[in-house]
Amino acid sequence: MGSAYSAAILAASRHHFRFFGLILIVVVLAGIVYLAVRLAARRDTRPKARRPTGTDADRRAASIGSVRSPSGPAVAAAAASGDRTPREPSRPPVARLAGAHNGWAVETHGLTKRFGPNVAVDDVQLFVPRGCAFGYLGPNGAGKTTLIRTLLGLTKADAGSMSLLGVPVPSQRSRALARVGAIVDEPRFHSHLTGRENLRLLAAARGPGADGRIAPSLERVGLGERADDKVASYSMGMRQRLGVAACLLGDPELLILDEPMNGLDPAGMREMRMMIQSFVEEGRTVLLSSHLLDEVERTCDAVAIVDRGKVIRQGSIHDLVQGASAVVEVDCADPSRATQLIGEAEGLAAAIATRNDGITLTLHPGATRDTVAEINRRLVEASVAVYRLQESRTSLEEWFLSVTSRLGEHE
Amino acid sequence: MSVGPPSLPSPGVPGAAVQTERPTPAPTGASGPSRREGDGGRGSFVPTWPLIATKFLELRKRRGLMVAVLLLTVGLPVVVLGIRLLFHLVAPHSYGPAGSPSVFAGLTAPMAEFGFIIAATLGATAGTSDLADGVFRHLVVTGRSRLALYLARLPAGLSIVLPLVAVAFALLCFVTAYAGSPQPAALNENGVSVPLHLDQAQLEGWLLGHPEQAARAFSIGPIGVKAEGQGIVQLAPATPTDVRGFVEHNIAGIDSSYTNDELSALNPADNEMAKIGLWLELEVAIGFIVGLGLGSLIGQRTVATIMMIALEIIVTPILANVQIPYFVNGQRLVVGVAMDQLRPAGMATTGGRRIFGGHGALGIPPMPTWAMVSVIVGWIVGWTVIGAWRMATRDA
Repeated sequence: MGSAYSAAILAASRHHFRFFGLILIVVVLAGIVYLAVRLAARRDTRPKARRPTGTDADRRAASIGSVRSPSGPAVAAAAASGDRTPREPSRPPVARLAGAHNGWAVETHGLTKRFGPNVAVDDVQLFVPRGCAFGYLGPNGAGKTTLIRTLLGLTKADAGSMSLLGVPVPSQRSRALARVGAIVDEPRFHSHLTGRENLRLLAAARGPGADGRIAPSLERVGLGERADDKVASYSMGMRQRLGVAACLLGDPELLILDEPMNGLDPAGMREMRMMIQSFVEEGRTVLLSSHLLDEVERTCDAVAIVDRGKVIRQGSIHDLVQGASAVVEVDCADPSRATQLIGEAEGLAAAIATRNDGITLTLHPGATRDTVAEINRRLVEASVAVYRLQESRTSLEEWFLSVTSRLGEHE
Repeated sequence: MSVGPPSLPSPGVPGAAVQTERPTPAPTGASGPSRREGDGGRGSFVPTWPLIATKFLELRKRRGLMVAVLLLTVGLPVVVLGIRLLFHLVAPHSYGPAGSPSVFAGLTAPMAEFGFIIAATLGATAGTSDLADGVFRHLVVTGRSRLALYLARLPAGLSIVLPLVAVAFALLCFVTAYAGSPQPAALNENGVSVPLHLDQAQLEGWLLGHPEQAARAFSIGPIGVKAEGQGIVQLAPATPTDVRGFVEHNIAGIDSSYTNDELSALNPADNEMAKIGLWLELEVAIGFIVGLGLGSLIGQRTVATIMMIALEIIVTPILANVQIPYFVNGQRLVVGVAMDQLRPAGMATTGGRRIFGGHGALGIPPMPTWAMVSVIVGWIVGWTVIGAWRMATRDA
């Protein structure tokens, strides 16, 4: 019985020998393919030393990690060590914008995007100079994110034309986006992957060279220590920083950051601000959208004010606020006489309000400090005793509220 | 220096226009950290190896999904055959060998069912994960062709599910061949030993040469009727002449019965096993590709997966089994029906088609081969095009 069984098995073995040889080959080949894919996938799981080749890609990758502004290491070191108060770098001078005569970083003409009857972006003409931090400022629902999504080709425009770094989009979108890094809305990632793996995913889409920038980018944003932790364990601030690291993979000339301060605590906002300023000092252009007036005023050199889809102002913050009215309060002995004197002088004040203890003058837009001195001189020469004279300039917030429709809504 | 267009109108706020001198744009890339021209191949629709490898990584790292994939592909034969091997080892007289033609046939059908469903789930996940996790917009912003992003998912997902199905099927074949019951030397038909591997002519010759055995083996007769007294009728056995007449008129049916019995009694031949393996791989690949396309189209993994399961275990069995008047050509457009027609003979005899699972011979008239191939290719190409189109046009 046993020998018959063995003989039968032997016969079956011979019968299936060729077939199982084939199956074995197929399985081995499948295993090789699987291992190859898996090895390729794991290739950069560990941080690796920068390759000492002299290719352009490597040099650009090195620029992310080593060619930093003075603030770069400070931000990274502070983030890594837990010190949340690194030295804040000096603001780049607004005057540098004067040297931006080499094409706009972002340029749109008549850009319009509709969602049914709602016009989210309404005939927008936007001009962002190169080499500065530019704020796209507007209240919630003003169409900031929609404009950014349209610029990046995430959604189609209904009308108008646009270009990024002088390259028209969407006709040459791939070429334009090669030098653009962007965060749109909150930065979200595959939570089951680590920060480094998420960046590998994006680097693979970026193309050659981006892979070598992963480690420097993570170090730059202070995530080097946590790069191999799953994103699910990251705080909101860490995700924002990972988003910035993702932007840096392409060594971008232009960074577009949508509400980068959202969800950050004050220290995180400070770090983000310093990081943005360091990018500008490296010669990159940063376009950031925000509804946080204070942050924009601290971070940006120029702004565009958007309300209900329309850009209603744009220019350098200094010039825009300068262009707004200034108010001079004068406490004096004879308010009636002072009102008469100032009123008789042409061009000194746009409006005069008389108080019991003095007058309040609203100056014309563009009035300088000489105007204030002239007011004082006239009062003193007319023997009106001046006890106090104080000029108060409009802050960006006051100016913003004055030019957007939201002020009327609140009132 | 003010920044802005030459003369920006300021609607609603008189006198607020920002005047500036418009700069002359310099050539592209005139300033910035580095100068680059071209898109570095990002506009090409051909997916790169790193793109495929990282998508593979993203799918492989989904632990829950991978556990399910493993269980429903390799896990099924491992558990069933493992239990049978164990039982046979402990009590060989009570439990037969682990591998047998019936076990082989019984396992390939659920492997096809579960393989299709889990491949569709994997495809739906591959088609929606970037969107659901908010990574899709990051990928689009890189400037990479959306078509390349979509096409990268095909090899990434298939390289997970196809090898696993191959391993599972190889395991089944291995156990069937090496740990199975001894192969019979002849076919047992109603207690009569009939030679194996006969074609129709050979079978007819054997039947005519052995009329008595043929009559017993294939229940030919009783044909003659012999009357006895008082109303009692005795059936007479078939004579050789009766058998000859019966065989000559019914050889096709007898051959079909013989073939089915042979298939159920013997392990599939090598080439039959290879066909079944390839058919399984095709079934799984179709499940993945359709799941990917549907997931990309809908954008929701759960809905796409439910639809695919319903297609596999409800819609397809009904349409393949019940002929709807004037709608038979519509029924044939379902990929499962075409796949059933393509099903190797070794699988088609494993029982009739049942609703809620189980495959078998078609219950509707078969379609021409070219139509069958067209339906299968059409589903593969069609869903790939639909998924890619949706990905290329979707708002990120």
